[in-house]
Amino acid sequence: MKRLSILFTMLVLLGLIAACGGAAQPETVTVVETVVVKEEVEVVQTVEVEKEVVKEVVETVEVEKVVEVPAPDEPKGELIVSLSTFPNSLVLPNTAERNAYNASAQMYNALVWVNEEGRVTPALAEDFEISDDGLEYTFYLRKGVKFHNGEDFDAEDVITTWQHHIDERNAYNYYFTPIEDIEVIDDFTVKFIMSEPDVLFLRKMHLNWGMIPTDYYNEVGFEGLEAHPVGTGPFKFVDWKKGDRIEMEAFEDYWEEGLPKVAKLTFRPIPEEATRIAAVQTGEIHIANRLPVDEAQRLLGAENVKIVRYPVDRVYYISFNNLTTGIDTPLEDVKVRQAMNYAIDRQAIIDALFNGYASLTAGFVTSGNLGYDPDLEPYSYDPDKAKELLAEAGYPDGFEIGMACPTGAYTNFEQVCEAVGGYLNEVGITFEGGEIQFMESGQYWDLEANKELPPLFGDSWSVADGEALIRLSGALGGFDASYSAWSNDEIQDYLTRISGAFDEAERAALYQEFNQYLYDDPPFVYLYQPNTFEAINVAVQNYQPRAAEDYHLKEVFLAGAE
Amino acid sequence: MQRYIISRTFQSLLLLLGVLIIIFFMVRLTGDPATLMVARDAPEEVREAFREKMGFNRPMIVQFSDYLFGIVQGDFGESLHFDQPALEIILERLPATFQLATVALLFAIVVAIPIGIIGGSNPGSPLDSLGRTLGLLGQTIPNFWLALILILIFAVNLGWFPSFGRDKTISVVLPAIALGFASMGQLVRLTRSAVLEIRNEDYIRTARSKGISTLRIGAKHVFRNAALALISVISIQYSYLLGGSIYIETIFSWPGLGNLLQQAVDGRDFPLVQAIAFFISFFVIALTLLTDVVYALIDPRIRYSR
Repeated sequence: MKRLSILFTMLVLLGLIAACGGAAQPETVTVVETVVVKEEVEVVQTVEVEKEVVKEVVETVEVEKVVEVPAPDEPKGELIVSLSTFPNSLVLPNTAERNAYNASAQMYNALVWVNEEGRVTPALAEDFEISDDGLEYTFYLRKGVKFHNGEDFDAEDVITTWQHHIDERNAYNYYFTPIEDIEVIDDFTVKFIMSEPDVLFLRKMHLNWGMIPTDYYNEVGFEGLEAHPVGTGPFKFVDWKKGDRIEMEAFEDYWEEGLPKVAKLTFRPIPEEATRIAAVQTGEIHIANRLPVDEAQRLLGAENVKIVRYPVDRVYYISFNNLTTGIDTPLEDVKVRQAMNYAIDRQAIIDALFNGYASLTAGFVTSGNLGYDPDLEPYSYDPDKAKELLAEAGYPDGFEIGMACPTGAYTNFEQVCEAVGGYLNEVGITFEGGEIQFMESGQYWDLEANKELPPLFGDSWSVADGEALIRLSGALGGFDASYSAWSNDEIQDYLTRISGAFDEAERAALYQEFNQYLYDDPPFVYLYQPNTFEAINVAVQNYQPRAAEDYHLKEVFLAGAE
Repeated sequence: MQRYIISRTFQSLLLLLGVLIIIFFMVRLTGDPATLMVARDAPEEVREAFREKMGFNRPMIVQFSDYLFGIVQGDFGESLHFDQPALEIILERLPATFQLATVALLFAIVVAIPIGIIGGSNPGSPLDSLGRTLGLLGQTIPNFWLALILILIFAVNLGWFPSFGRDKTISVVLPAIALGFASMGQLVRLTRSAVLEIRNEDYIRTARSKGISTLRIGAKHVFRNAALALISVISIQYSYLLGGSIYIETIFSWPGLGNLLQQAVDGRDFPLVQAIAFFISFFVIALTLLTDVVYALIDPRIRYSR
């Protein structure tokens, strides 16, 4: 009996392990964008039989037709979207991270908006002008816009919003403290006077400015607004059960005609990836965000789910140091740095660790950014050339240097660093202490901020506003920038010029030039730009995620909603 | 008896203080909270202002004594992420965690005790084998893995239960099973061995030889004596369920304390982490104290042994 029960237990265990499923084989990911409709078609055939009676046989045959689903005239249905963490706030300037932003942004508008191509376009301001020195912005406000509570939008609300947004309690108040004053020229014209020019100011407005109504704010105050947010956006706030869900519904008087297209919008925070995947399969949610590669692939065959893949505006890199720990090291020679870029087979790393789902980068200006140069080819994998360059620089046998990487910060990044280390070893570059120093991310970033990390260190930088300036100045600003370990006069010059170019076309040209310079004289080993995956219910139409992973759900609708 | 209660209460308070000290200092060893809480592209002045405002620049001892005085007055600090008093947020989430832990415990008891009793009364029978297998599985299967399997089978494939959240009444079933499974396993084994042991005691043989019915022996003697051993285990299990729900709540997106703790740890929300850790420790210690007192009341041997 005892042996039987042991056997029984082992069988149960084996069965359970088998149920887990084997490793998913890599498959190509396809994006299905149109709805496939199965229709039954009657086929009438005449069949000959022995007797001279002709019978008609009707068969039904399934035919797959691809049908473009038209958008409904009125908002219909409930769209349920998952978030991967709990939002801290639903008031736009106070949203501390992407999830909170995604929920909150559906309720607000700013004076301008950054569209899918990364260009600044009008929103609550029909038009705007920037003075040449970037210190004055004149906005011509749109008429006939209403807030969720019925108030009309005009110049006074711009002032109120400004006063609210610079409150210290907001996570991003410092975006708007450079506004020195706002002049009301008339009910629909305002002029912003800046204390210092900021070429990214309009993009910061797109990110964290949410217009709020004056009377309402005066009545309920900061906490009242947090408890029940009001804006001009396509969706208005209904309820927030903390930890459980955020409920919104369509705003009938939204100023953009014909939008939004769903009647209710609900956000459910689900921190666990596996649960998000289960929930999208059962239909409990329509959009599951931030899925890892293997899970996304496993869903490829699922009936009611389609996979959407897109590049994220984040770059991974190994930084060199010429400010502190990198002084008097071989890194000072440009050939050494170029050699290191040639020494690493980034594509192999991408294939091995991300199943091929990442893109090589040739610089910090990526495919979603202003001034991106699609013709600039990333460094190829050429270890012979790397050794040649090292020899030319005077290090035919390589050299020893310190390198560090963070743990627990980014997906698979520890393995990426190990791989990078391996490739560098192959061209003769070895590490102090014999290996890469791995550190817990909190401690790591502290050291980075003090410029105390070894001369080689790995990190990553994302931007949300469609321009690379923040990461360029952040990583290359020298002693003025916390996380920078590399700078020089030319770089500072470029940064200054870009920061002063208020004309977008001019700035785009400068980014291209700067990126080329940073390619020829690399301050980093450029690694990759990751892809992210989302699984959405097949009924979801018009869903277009952006490289900054932000959602703008006003155009989304559900096929077959009532 | 009174002396016993007083001394145990005093011990519990000391224990609570020790826990507080550990929580407070350990949570500060992982790095500067300002770097994580403030956006990375923020200028250093913003970060420094943040440190000033939160008092992170003051000496540890000063920070700790402020914290201690606050707790005594019911002020657990403000959550950095939610801009709300930590106590408020915790109280909002408590009911969900209590519900989950209670249902999990009920599941464990209702399944484990009958199987344990019958198994212990008929050692070697098929039901006994089932009981021992369950006991083994309960101790070996990780609860988070079980949670995912339950979701896969019962939510995704069969569609009988929701895969997450606390929307419907039946939403509590899968999380409770996943959470309570380990307790169930342990209770089966303990019940079984307690029953086995007691059955062989002399007083049982005496009762049987006096002609008392098996049922009466079962209810009056076997069960009551077994219950003693089980009470303390059940109370420990309950506190384990309360504090150990962090994985299950995260996986099922159950809006309780464990979920909140996971978020707080992830976001280095120090005040909230401390507050939650304190609450959970408080419940465990209080529950243990209560159990000891109840135990002493039931079993005279304990209270006279001092």
